[in-house]
Amino acid sequence: MSYKVTEEGNISTVHLNGEIDMDVTEKAKEIIMPLIEAKKEVHLNLKDVQYMDSSGISVLIESHQKATELGTKVILKEISKSVLKVIMMAKLEQILNLD
Amino acid sequence: MSEGTISITEQKDFVVSSSSLKEVRSFSRKVFEKLDINQDLKDELVLAIAEAAQNIVKHAYKGQDTEDKMEIKISLDKGQLEIGFFDKGRPVDKENIRHRNIDDIKPGGLGTYFIQQIMDAVVFKEGEKPWINHLILTKNLNF
Repeated sequence: MSYKVTEEGNISTVHLNGEIDMDVTEKAKEIIMPLIEAKKEVHLNLKDVQYMDSSGISVLIESHQKATELGTKVILKEISKSVLKVIMMAKLEQILNLD
Repeated sequence: MSEGTISITEQKDFVVSSSSLKEVRSFSRKVFEKLDINQDLKDELVLAIAEAAQNIVKHAYKGQDTEDKMEIKISLDKGQLEIGFFDKGRPVDKENIRHRNIDDIKPGGLGTYFIQQIMDAVVFKEGEKPWINHLILTKNLNF
């Protein structure tokens, strides 16, 4: 997995790239959580994520819940077909902020 | 679509580690490339295999470093897909294998749910020596 973070005002956009599994979830959290803790609105661009498993879904849930707790939000952008399928399998399409 | 005429048996060993999961997916994708099934189903089967392998790393070995290997065996005969997982970790307590309530939104506990959504049957057996655990996932591909 690789990533790029861009900032615009209070919005931080994290472009994730590659496959998100148990092996990279800690790294993903290290990137995303500090932005949420800084009360940024975090946009996760998932256009270039070709694979996500239950560990990746856990990162999305944890990020969403942390943001809600801190009064900000995480919005999932340009979700790839394969990631959307896993989100729907987990019945999270009404829970997470999908754009 | 029928896979009734194709017969496949492929197996491979992997070090029990989260860093092996990419290799597990790659092996699975290569096997499923040989089957005339749609890409969505191939992706689902790869996810089920990767989730089961992840469960071995997370639960049978509690995420501890090991040099042990797990074996994954993919067989197809008369349209019946069987995927076997063999490991030498802690014995699986079948009573504790359950996914969380899907409506209880919290991180974790989804892997087993995904496997059950994708596969027709999930069976845990005691492994024959030298294995400790033997998990069998099956799915009928005759449709």
